[in-house]
Amino acid sequence: MKETLKPYRIVLISIVCGLLLASALFAGCTQSTTSTPATPVATTAPVTTQAATPVATATAVPTTVVTTATPAPTYTASSGNLVAFTAASLTGASGTLGTSFTNAYPGHKVVFNLDGTQALKTQVENGAYADVFISASNSYTNTLKSEGYFVNSSVKTLCTNYVIVILPASNPGNIQSLSDLSKPGVKIAMAASTVPVGTASLAAISNLANSTYGQEWKNSTISNVVTYETSEPAVATKVSLGEVDAGFVYQSTATAAATGTYQTLTISKKDNYLQTYSIGILQESTNKAVAAEFEQFMLSSAGQDILQEYGFTPVI
Amino acid sequence: MLEAVVEKKLRDYQLDITLTVKAGEVMVLMGTNGSGKSTTLNIISGLLAPDKGSIILNGECICRTETGIDIPVEERRIGYVLQNSAVFPHMQVRENVAFGLKARHISREIISDRVNFWMEHMHIADLADVKAGNLSGGQKQRVALARALAIEPSLLMLDEPFTALDTESTQTVKELTRKFIKKLNIPCIVVTHRIADSTEIGDRACVLCHGKKEWEGLPGKMPEYCTVCHCA
Amino acid sequence: MSFFNLRPKRQTLTYIAAGILIAAVTLYLALPILALFFRITPEMFFATLADPDVISALWLSMFTTFVTLAIVIIVGTPFAYYHCRYNYPGKIVVDTLIDLPLVLPPAVAGVGLLVLYGRVGLLGRYFNMFGIQFAFTTLAVIMAQIFVASPFYLRQAKSLFEQLDPSYEQTARTLGSSSMRTLALVTLPMTASGLISGAVMTFGRALGEFGATIMFAGNLPGVTQTMPLAVYVGMQGNVNVGLTISILLVIISFAIMITVRILQKREEKRA
Repeated sequence: MKETLKPYRIVLISIVCGLLLASALFAGCTQSTTSTPATPVATTAPVTTQAATPVATATAVPTTVVTTATPAPTYTASSGNLVAFTAASLTGASGTLGTSFTNAYPGHKVVFNLDGTQALKTQVENGAYADVFISASNSYTNTLKSEGYFVNSSVKTLCTNYVIVILPASNPGNIQSLSDLSKPGVKIAMAASTVPVGTASLAAISNLANSTYGQEWKNSTISNVVTYETSEPAVATKVSLGEVDAGFVYQSTATAAATGTYQTLTISKKDNYLQTYSIGILQESTNKAVAAEFEQFMLSSAGQDILQEYGFTPVI
Repeated sequence: MLEAVVEKKLRDYQLDITLTVKAGEVMVLMGTNGSGKSTTLNIISGLLAPDKGSIILNGECICRTETGIDIPVEERRIGYVLQNSAVFPHMQVRENVAFGLKARHISREIISDRVNFWMEHMHIADLADVKAGNLSGGQKQRVALARALAIEPSLLMLDEPFTALDTESTQTVKELTRKFIKKLNIPCIVVTHRIADSTEIGDRACVLCHGKKEWEGLPGKMPEYCTVCHCA
Repeated sequence: MSFFNLRPKRQTLTYIAAGILIAAVTLYLALPILALFFRITPEMFFATLADPDVISALWLSMFTTFVTLAIVIIVGTPFAYYHCRYNYPGKIVVDTLIDLPLVLPPAVAGVGLLVLYGRVGLLGRYFNMFGIQFAFTTLAVIMAQIFVASPFYLRQAKSLFEQLDPSYEQTARTLGSSSMRTLALVTLPMTASGLISGAVMTFGRALGEFGATIMFAGNLPGVTQTMPLAVYVGMQGNVNVGLTISILLVIISFAIMITVRILQKREEKRA
């Protein structure tokens, strides 16, 4: 007796096929990532892509021709959208920067992927696609340069930032000065040492210990750290929730926050760690002309003013 | 002696039963499926509460709705063997039979004596260390019977004990039941839907129909049809 | 073996299609796990095992997960039992709540725990007055794990107790056994293998818990940095640590699965 296909089975099979079809279409329409080798490629010169958009201002487009051993990226950004992997500390500024860029270069839009620099670096090293990379740490910038991910000539200093200590508005820990940070029972939040601001915070603490407060203060302060967050905004969140007594973040976070969100304790410039942000175009970008325009924008007074507004120290 | 007068509103009908069973007497409860036989047993055992009524066992009142007396199931000393025998499959036969005794914190020697006694008389002594889940239907029923009698109950109730058994096992269980009911001189209720069972095991019989007792009398004298629903 | 009683040509096609499906599913699940082992050399793996961060994450995960499992089983079993056997007001609400953590994103659970038990939380502020704090402690890790993992055990236990033929418990009661005694000697042994599989799922979920942990307990090596957190942080800085701990997690998961299978096979043999 032949088995007849029951109606519900037909429906089930159609649903499965439909889902497979839909996911295939979806995958085709969105970005796919290229697989870049983990080791630097033994080559050559950067690729040139056609400067598709004639722009009023003269932009410096990288013009060297290429042959590359890596397979050309199989995807291109949807027309006009630039992908910027950006250090998380620029989260607050990113909205304004994006709008301003589109106003200055109509028809272009920038999409920010905001995360700890270390996380973004890992993503790029594992094949994630981006046009522009904004790094909060010189050492990560240099690593990416030496690994061949950057168009090295395009890497420029974007702005700088200092470390600052923020306290919840109500100051539950009654911290009046930096020396209070070592008091027993104080809860401090910091970024993990792999996050740029984490290294910067530790460096600042060491400087302060050497110059003013001593090693005992440093040890007690470090043992007061209750959590090492994986990005800078996460530290700020824990402080704003009042769950910790103090947190080490960037000055930009404190400046950009609404008045009354935090109390702050500044660290003097001589003891502080100057964090240098860099911006650069990635080798894998298929949109280098627009990427260069974005970089130009960020380094122009338009971009730098916005950064300053959000508490970063501009370079111009 | 058991005197039970109970009422309970059920989904399809109103259960209204008066049952009297003398010591040493086997009362067979008959009727079609859904006539209220098992429900009656559940009420007498205490697993179900009646809406109204009283149950008196050996002169002691174990349930009276007017005065709020309701002795819990665990304390009624009623042996109840369900249709599927409900032997604990993960325990050995010996542990099954001893189960009710251990719950009462009786000394180990007494437990051991009684367990051996009942296993002997139910012809399951050679299965003492077998896991009860591995037994045949007839063996399981005998274990359930031994388990129920081991606690020295004041009343024994069997719900459709022969349905899953073959002829030989049925005979054995019937003989053992009658023998020990007489010996222990306790009342016994057996629920069955087969007329042949009633004559072989029962001293008296009654027929239930839609929750009411339609007829009561000697097993051999059961009328062919009951008046309301032709269920005999 | 004739499958579906189809004609030979159809049969071959069916076998091929079935084969492709099975291969696709198996490979999709197995390959990522295998890839972990190929990305790191054995020497590097064993060398990284000695890394203090790896060791502390391992101990912390094992400790917290076992405590979580113990609490879920000890509290959850009687709870599931009474929940099934009795009708109490609000039973439907409780039923739904048990399922909630299954669909709730773990990060949301973490936020919820933080705003409730945090130092300035709705309840936490009162505990704080007595000097009791939950956030950023190992206890917070356990609390987060219990929240997300307990439904696996509770639902399983509920289902088992509901499906157990009531005649066993009823008979036990007529024989004079109290509720607790019946639960321990009759109900639990008869539902044991199902409960164990529920416990295994709970263990796995608790071991892998990340979102709620990092939100509520934070990330401090030796105190709250469980293995999943260590993997995440590791993959952003010290990739070898990330890979090593990932492999450890795979090994532990497999070990648990195999142990449970062996136990179940032995129980089946004994029966």
